[in-house]
Amino acid sequence: MTVSPVDVVVFAPLAPLFGVLLFWFIQLMFIESQKYLLSKIWGQHKPLCRFTNFLGILYQTICHALGYTVTKSGISNFYISINYGKVAPKKEKKGIFEWMSNSFLFIGPFFIPSLLLLICFFLIIGSGIDIAQSMEYTFAEGMINFGTNLYAFSESLFSFLVSIDLLHPSHLGFLILLIFLGMGMRPSYIGEDKRRKVNMLYDLQNIKNHIFHKPLYILILFLIAYIFSYVSVLLKTNWYTSLFSIFGWLSIIAIVALSITHLIILLIKTTDEFPRYWRHLPYLTIFLSYILMRIVFYFFPIDHLRTVSLFVMVLSTIVVVFLLLKYKTNKFKTVTKMKQLRVEDGPKRSIRK
Amino acid sequence: MDQNDLLENERVEKILSPHPLSFMKLQFLCIFLIIWGLLVLWLTSVSEYETIFAEWYMVLVVWGLVLLLVGVIASLLTIRWSIFFLYLGLVAGAVAFVFWFGLQDSAGVFIPIYSVAFSILGFLLVELYRRSHKYIISNLRIIFKGGVVTKRERTLRYDKITDINAKQGILGQIFGFGTIIPISQSGFGLGSDQSFAAGGVELGTKKAGFLGIFGGGKEVQTPRARSYYELHGVHPYKEIKHLVENMVQDNVITPYQQEQVAVQKEQVDVQKQMRDLLKKQIGSKEDQKEEKPES
Repeated sequence: MTVSPVDVVVFAPLAPLFGVLLFWFIQLMFIESQKYLLSKIWGQHKPLCRFTNFLGILYQTICHALGYTVTKSGISNFYISINYGKVAPKKEKKGIFEWMSNSFLFIGPFFIPSLLLLICFFLIIGSGIDIAQSMEYTFAEGMINFGTNLYAFSESLFSFLVSIDLLHPSHLGFLILLIFLGMGMRPSYIGEDKRRKVNMLYDLQNIKNHIFHKPLYILILFLIAYIFSYVSVLLKTNWYTSLFSIFGWLSIIAIVALSITHLIILLIKTTDEFPRYWRHLPYLTIFLSYILMRIVFYFFPIDHLRTVSLFVMVLSTIVVVFLLLKYKTNKFKTVTKMKQLRVEDGPKRSIRK
Repeated sequence: MDQNDLLENERVEKILSPHPLSFMKLQFLCIFLIIWGLLVLWLTSVSEYETIFAEWYMVLVVWGLVLLLVGVIASLLTIRWSIFFLYLGLVAGAVAFVFWFGLQDSAGVFIPIYSVAFSILGFLLVELYRRSHKYIISNLRIIFKGGVVTKRERTLRYDKITDINAKQGILGQIFGFGTIIPISQSGFGLGSDQSFAAGGVELGTKKAGFLGIFGGGKEVQTPRARSYYELHGVHPYKEIKHLVENMVQDNVITPYQQEQVAVQKEQVDVQKQMRDLLKKQIGSKEDQKEEKPES
């Protein structure tokens, strides 16, 4: 197959970039959805929301501080509370350094906490991921390689997650870290009264302003990316796609973390509808079912016992939640009851307006 | 609060207790004990490091050493050696139990159970201690009560408060509690942080030696009081702080008010003088009237 030089020179370097952008956008959508869910439970779970705010601000300030450290600006003041964080540099640097430290502030919270988890993940699984090798340096090949790398990582991550051992300290620590990351991964703030900013546009606006404030720096970044791509082509390596694949992995970790926190927030939101003591039952079911299954499988071992234990845990929790919804709330009741009433009373009984 | 304990015209505004999470420093010692106990169970029973703990004494040594190390670090950080001695007591107790009841073979199971049992006991003691605290805010004073065995009480009138210190940690910000330390005119509510640095120099190596020690100390006054002498971990923090500040404001006379009182006093004096003068004038007129008919 002939390869067009225009494709190699102009379009091929864009392939992994588009891939990263796509996954980052999905991540942004998940963040938006999580913020919406959190704002729904704000009234009844203020401490939880404040805690997630604190985590978000913590990641943001750490990223900002990292930005100042990387640009050698130094840190003179580091302040953090549940609704405000501030990092002041020792030396006020202008130009590219200021832009870089601001990039850490705006874009860092999306990727830096995930990077921490990625390192933890590799330490736990104790092996790497096979990277796809490029045969032709075209746009299509770049996309395929990027997708293959992402698939390989996703397979590894999901295999780990479905067989996670919750009685293993490092596995449990990883899960807790994943949940904490998912809860705090958002650059904007959900807070009290007028400071409430619950929209994706606010985040995007910040990033857009940051990019268009200094378009020259973005052009330089693109130029560097293109040069790096050409170097990869000349040396016949897959460094360029691999680098951007790492960003894709970070997005996948973030999306998984956000999905898990979504489930937790949904569980909290659903249990709020239950009467006082019944609302603790689903949480008890989570722990008891898992421990029970592990004890059973300790005496009667089977293949994939961790996966089966997790499956039973999730299934029993769902069943308990549905049973409570049916018998302790008015959910699932209205439609059937109304029909029954109409049949019993006959067609004559109707509401006259 | 008993009605008899109230002063004349006294009205209770709030009766408070510390928030359940306000003694987290103490509770954390118990949490650590639970986590470490369960970790020991995992290490000795199902982990890949199981073989290291094949000998029974290894469980006791590793568990005890880590506990003492954490005790030393926590004591240094909080400047409270009771934490170290508490953990030392626990380790000594575990050793005594193991030898007394001959539990050497089942040390891997006994140590986690012992840790969890003592941490639960610790939680209960902390909760008991928390519940012994009671703060009564009335319109005239604040009454602080506390102590499990020895009951302590402090009464502070608002006009004796010179300064109010308030602090709220991250946990307090999340759950909406905080500590308010009212500092009295006598300095009650103030503590001090001390730091000391020392160094030694030895001169001469064989026969003649000289040892010199130099050092320096620093003391910083800081608002600090026992939990039963301050409004420790009160909830809702902002509301209580506002209430106490308002009470102090209402009971403390401001410079402007002092000026006003002085002016009013002057006016009263002038009015008194005028009254006396008027009285004198009236008296002299009456005398004149009495004298006239005679003439």
